[in-house]
Amino acid sequence: MASLSLQGIQKIYPNGFHAVKDFNLEIEDKEFIIFVGPSGCGKSTTLRMIAGLEDISGGTLKIDGKVMNDVEPKDRDIAMVFQNYALYPHMTVYDNMAFGLKLRKVPKDEIDKKVREAARILDLEKLLDRKPKALSGGQRQRVAMGRAIVRNPKVFLMDEPLSNLDAKLRVQMRIEISKLHENLGATIIYVTHDQTEAMTLGTRIVVMKDGVVQQVDTPQNLYNTPCNLFVAGFIGSPQMNFMDALCTVKGDDVTLTVGEHVLKVPASKKKALIDGGYNGKTVVLGIRPEDVHDSEAFISNSPDSVITSTIKVYELLGAEVFLYFDVEGTQMTARVNPRTTLRTGDKAVFALDMEKIHVFDKETELTITN
Amino acid sequence: MVQSLLVYGELFMEHTQELDKALNELKRITGITMDVSAETPEETELALTQIRCLCTAYKEKYNKTDFLQSLMKSGVPSYDIAERASRLHIAPDEKRVLFLLEARVLDEAVTAILKNLFPSQTRTYLVPMSETTLVILRPVKTGETAESMRRVARTIVDTLNMEALTHVQLSYSSIIETLADLSGAFRETTLALKVGKLFYSEQTIFPYNELGIGRLIYQLPITLCENFLKEIFGDDVPEGLDEDTASTVNKFFQNNLNIAETSRQLHMHRNTLIYRLEQVQKRTGLDLRTFEDAMTFKIAIMVMNYLKTERNH
Repeated sequence: MASLSLQGIQKIYPNGFHAVKDFNLEIEDKEFIIFVGPSGCGKSTTLRMIAGLEDISGGTLKIDGKVMNDVEPKDRDIAMVFQNYALYPHMTVYDNMAFGLKLRKVPKDEIDKKVREAARILDLEKLLDRKPKALSGGQRQRVAMGRAIVRNPKVFLMDEPLSNLDAKLRVQMRIEISKLHENLGATIIYVTHDQTEAMTLGTRIVVMKDGVVQQVDTPQNLYNTPCNLFVAGFIGSPQMNFMDALCTVKGDDVTLTVGEHVLKVPASKKKALIDGGYNGKTVVLGIRPEDVHDSEAFISNSPDSVITSTIKVYELLGAEVFLYFDVEGTQMTARVNPRTTLRTGDKAVFALDMEKIHVFDKETELTITN
Repeated sequence: MVQSLLVYGELFMEHTQELDKALNELKRITGITMDVSAETPEETELALTQIRCLCTAYKEKYNKTDFLQSLMKSGVPSYDIAERASRLHIAPDEKRVLFLLEARVLDEAVTAILKNLFPSQTRTYLVPMSETTLVILRPVKTGETAESMRRVARTIVDTLNMEALTHVQLSYSSIIETLADLSGAFRETTLALKVGKLFYSEQTIFPYNELGIGRLIYQLPITLCENFLKEIFGDDVPEGLDEDTASTVNKFFQNNLNIAETSRQLHMHRNTLIYRLEQVQKRTGLDLRTFEDAMTFKIAIMVMNYLKTERNH
């Protein structure tokens, strides 16, 4: 397996479209790296540059220390799994997996060894004689993975490989891919627009927007300490609640005012606001839905972070309930215990866990408190 | 004298070998065995030419690939299409879509992958058109829609990327009803590929009916394009925009001429953005904050890129 180094990678297409800007990333051997971001953010383009399917307009790509910018894709020792894979309909699972190796004129006994080994890893041994028609969606996906595994590449590149599967199968395949990463000890770069996939699979996640890397971090750190408003909003479902708030510094106390609600900023967060000179300025207050509480105990212990509103929508999801309500014209979501007594139309009191708030500069959208 | 005789002898030998080769080729493709007795190099040359002509004529008449190639290049008279098609067991009236594939290298691997992706050789035809382009003529199945065609196109591109590890671009035509429409479909896809590569180079799939304003510009005469640019930039038409201006203007357009959103995304003060837009206005007289001027400028950039690419070719 391999390490990768991307230094100042750029992609400018002949029509002038600047798809990727100054992309810098060091990928360790055996890492599972996720590129995530909205459609058109440059994640697939970056992956395709690593694969050699797109020319690199600027910067340096190294695999295991060797510059790869001008190396042909087939000589980069990579394998790809893309979204719209197709299995050869008239071939058996065995032949489907062996086909790529046959094209490369790999000796028969070696092909057999590699195919059987891949089939063992993917639990496809009993299906080797079947044709694609007789396979389920998940099994077909595993065959597509098998075609990549038999190449024994240094790096696996996957571009939204699960997007064409239904939701249930996607969850199942996520687990399979995670297991595969453990079993192969492979370096995997995985592109997705689905933040749940990103959070559950990656050892590190690269969040991209408009061709620019926003943050590179572990899933936990991205969730807990997003570097800007975009990352905060993109990672997490339901997404983080955002409200405009007026910051006021009075002596040692810092408060954030949202309409009629005055929220006291805890000691752990206030220094950054004081040092940053935010007194009298409007900032963006962010709080995750699970940090908005409706339990009486929490509310009585947090008198300085109480907000009131009327429940607009009650959504029971079984293990949890989402409550939707407005605060000063901004829609908010609370993720609460299903035993809550609140229902649509009820007047509700919530308390924010102020230790968990995120505060962002309104102009730059960068974090102030993380 | 001895030397010239030697040369004469070598030439004769070479011709005889070529004649044998041509006769073998004739037998291979037609099943006809023929003997030729030629005593002089001139006679051999004449026989060789005639046998080659026979081979070509036979191929054109009885070989599917040659027939489809001729059909796409409008080389078959319309009255002849149905008869020749039925002789080659090609249904003349069947709904089809033509996919035109361009690969950096159209090697054996690409062809082998496509043959296996579309194993029904009697209904889907793979027709090489040049060293880098190949046509996939695929029947439209009942219930298939434009979205299905997009999926097929996506599958072709992704599979070739994955299996052949090669960059490919693909255009596809509208649905055609008969073989007589094939040359039109080929022209459509050739145009789509050219326009797509010019104006939408970040994409890999170009449906003929989704070429937008690119098609319009591509079909304008060069002089008209040049005059249009002169109208905007005067006599000093730039080769292209500098990187800062290009990225600023592109982002501004992407954000629907929204100053606040663009300056935020570019991490730039709104006054800096306004200054840059005013610089463009000074240079061109176009105020990009208004829809009409923004539209004119957008087209001007596309025309500029088009002319630049044309000049480079």
